[in-house]
Amino acid sequence: MGLLGLGFAANAQEHSYAPSDIENGRGLYQGNCLGCHGNNGDSVEGVNLGKGRFRHASSDEDLIALIRAGIPSTLMVARPQFSYGELRSLVAFLRNMQTGGVLTAADTREVKIGDAKAGQQLFFGKGGCSKCHGVNGGGSRLSPDLAGIGSQRSPASLETSLQDPRKEVREGNRFMQVTTKAGVVITGKLMNQDTHSVQLMNEKEKLVSLLKKDLSAQAMMPSPMPSTQDVLSPTQVADLVAYLLTLKSEESAK
Amino acid sequence: MKSFIKYSGALILTLATLHTQAQVTSERLLHTAADPGSWLLYHGSYDGHRNSALKQITPANVGKLKLQWIWQQRSRGGASEKFEATPLLADGVMYTVAAPNDVVALDPLTGRVFWTLAYTPAPEARVCCGRVNRGLAIHGDTLFMGAIDGHLLAIDTVSGQIKWNIALGDAALGYSVTVAPLVIGNKVIVGPAGGEFGIRGFIAAYDVGTGKEIWKFHTVPGPGEPGFESWKDPAKEAWLTGGGSIWTTGSYDPELNLMYWGVGNPGPDWNGDSRPGDNLYTDTLVALNPDTGKLVWHYQFTPHDEMDYDATQVPVLADINFNGKPRKVVMTANRNGVFYVIDRTNGSFLLGKPFVSVNWMSGFEKNGRPIRALAPTEAGTFIMPNNQGATNWYPPSFSPQTGLFYVPTWMDTYSVYTKRPVTYTPGQQYIGAYPTMAVPALSVRTVNQRVHEEGYGAIQAIDPATGDVKWRHEMTDVTDSGVLSTAANLVFAGGREGFFYALNATTGEELWRANLGGQVASGPISYEINGKQYIAVSAGSGLFVFALEN
Repeated sequence: MGLLGLGFAANAQEHSYAPSDIENGRGLYQGNCLGCHGNNGDSVEGVNLGKGRFRHASSDEDLIALIRAGIPSTLMVARPQFSYGELRSLVAFLRNMQTGGVLTAADTREVKIGDAKAGQQLFFGKGGCSKCHGVNGGGSRLSPDLAGIGSQRSPASLETSLQDPRKEVREGNRFMQVTTKAGVVITGKLMNQDTHSVQLMNEKEKLVSLLKKDLSAQAMMPSPMPSTQDVLSPTQVADLVAYLLTLKSEESAK
Repeated sequence: MKSFIKYSGALILTLATLHTQAQVTSERLLHTAADPGSWLLYHGSYDGHRNSALKQITPANVGKLKLQWIWQQRSRGGASEKFEATPLLADGVMYTVAAPNDVVALDPLTGRVFWTLAYTPAPEARVCCGRVNRGLAIHGDTLFMGAIDGHLLAIDTVSGQIKWNIALGDAALGYSVTVAPLVIGNKVIVGPAGGEFGIRGFIAAYDVGTGKEIWKFHTVPGPGEPGFESWKDPAKEAWLTGGGSIWTTGSYDPELNLMYWGVGNPGPDWNGDSRPGDNLYTDTLVALNPDTGKLVWHYQFTPHDEMDYDATQVPVLADINFNGKPRKVVMTANRNGVFYVIDRTNGSFLLGKPFVSVNWMSGFEKNGRPIRALAPTEAGTFIMPNNQGATNWYPPSFSPQTGLFYVPTWMDTYSVYTKRPVTYTPGQQYIGAYPTMAVPALSVRTVNQRVHEEGYGAIQAIDPATGDVKWRHEMTDVTDSGVLSTAANLVFAGGREGFFYALNATTGEELWRANLGGQVASGPISYEINGKQYIAVSAGSGLFVFALEN
């Protein structure tokens, strides 16, 4: 915890939220927000509710005021009917949206949470995590930066991702392999595709665009992240989980 | 003096000519087939075909289509909305609507603007699914536009001035208008959107000259009206917030003097516990007499809908050979994933066949009632197609030349529908829990990082005699595009990726495409001026016009 910038963390998550509030908020989100903001909270361009990325608000009280008042001339209509308690629940849910979206109930299995300091050493040391993942910068462009991961994921889901990284890969983190008719194989992160072309970030972190008519094959690839299974001990995994949980905001200190 | 007389005579003659030109009579609307150079109705014609008789652009030369002009709309807030309007082309002027409610008159040869009416909807306007507008109607020298604040406006075609402006319903309660009105005779016929706000829907006719209401048909019947028995809640109050919105334009058969409208979902959308029963006339095709608004027959596609499937797809009219006999039919590719053929004289069910993967129903009873297989549950139910539907408001096309029905399709999508408690608060959404969707319903995002299994798009050609899909033009992303077919065996349509295609209407083969850089979410049209055929389509924030080089 020593290196965590608490001042920054306050922006994203001001305190811990009661599980019952999060669950109530999930229902309110499904009934009022999901149609526009989507299952993952990222359907409105430039807004990512699951990552605490808002255009018009940052603190819990800002968010509550915004939801009540709405945003003029947009689909974000005022919702004066909500009680303060309901809005607190909704914000609690937004602060705890899980990877996989609204219907993915938080994986609340009890898992062992170890020593964050040891986890941090492992992350940047022999665990090899930082070879790919940055924390507020520093990693590969091909891998998701993990700043803020601690406010987006439950301990159990973090453990699952460490042990079985191929289980779920979200949009934006998916890999594709294409083979050109000339026989060149290119693997990269899928940035975008349409009916006639595909845009990738290749393994050298260069942006490449290919016309599908020039390809002989294209296929989605499993996540390139290796599993920690049989590599790290259960204690080490628990230490990593503990460290990741300290990364509460996108401005998390390294 | 002599020359002055001569001059003023010429002036009078010119004005007289213009005056004659600027009259789109009821008679002209009945005979659009005789006037293929114009586009006088939302669907191009009363039958909903969106089929142009113009044949200058052919499969052989369509590859040489060239951009003629682009008009970029600059309406307040409209640039981030979908540009859904189908333009009208009448007597040398093009009329369209930039979201939310800016009406513009353009020169169809240059794209230059004659006038703009920037109507500011009331701030309490609320819409479920975009501050959009699908187009205009025209009669005489008057345009008609519905606005998202629930108003209906009559606008002078020459000056852009508002002639009259009436409220169809209370904007603060969720009454809005996104549909292009339909003019029949001296009536302008329209209905409100708002099925996600607990409105009570209707179709109503207003006098084209004054805006005075002539008749009103409630899409959710009240006590004493036929169909009320299908609202079985003991308290007898569900009908008051029963939905039944109108947001796609109906079609009209002058010979039978019947018009056909698809009615929207019941409210609340995704939890039907408060409204037991079939909930007529939601999710229903209604055949009305346009003189009186009286219901002549109805067919309900999705009784007691809890998936928000609506029936707001365009009813398309044709006389086809069905089981060896000529039949007057109405065809519709429904949001619920099934393509229907119905006898339009009496509403009898002829055919229903899925055109995507469907699991909410398992077949039909003899009378055409669907056998329901799935419904939302508290734990969540995996249902195909997804909530946005196999298709939606995107207008399809029918070609009398090929006999095929062309439908923009979201292929093989799914939603998880979850039943949650819902209470009505005036002016607030009255829906239940939004279903999940792998493909965002209303997205204007330009990036697609999804995989094929999460859903993709297609233009499909369906043979109405069998319901069989004859060909399918697939796209990586889904499509909100309308379709235009032409007598020269061409189909024009696009998709969310911004591609706009010309396809062979018989085979589906791609003959030409242009990348318009923004999603095609409107119906293309064709028109002719000075012997030259044009194709117009809006995409992103622009209106694009193509033609062959001279």
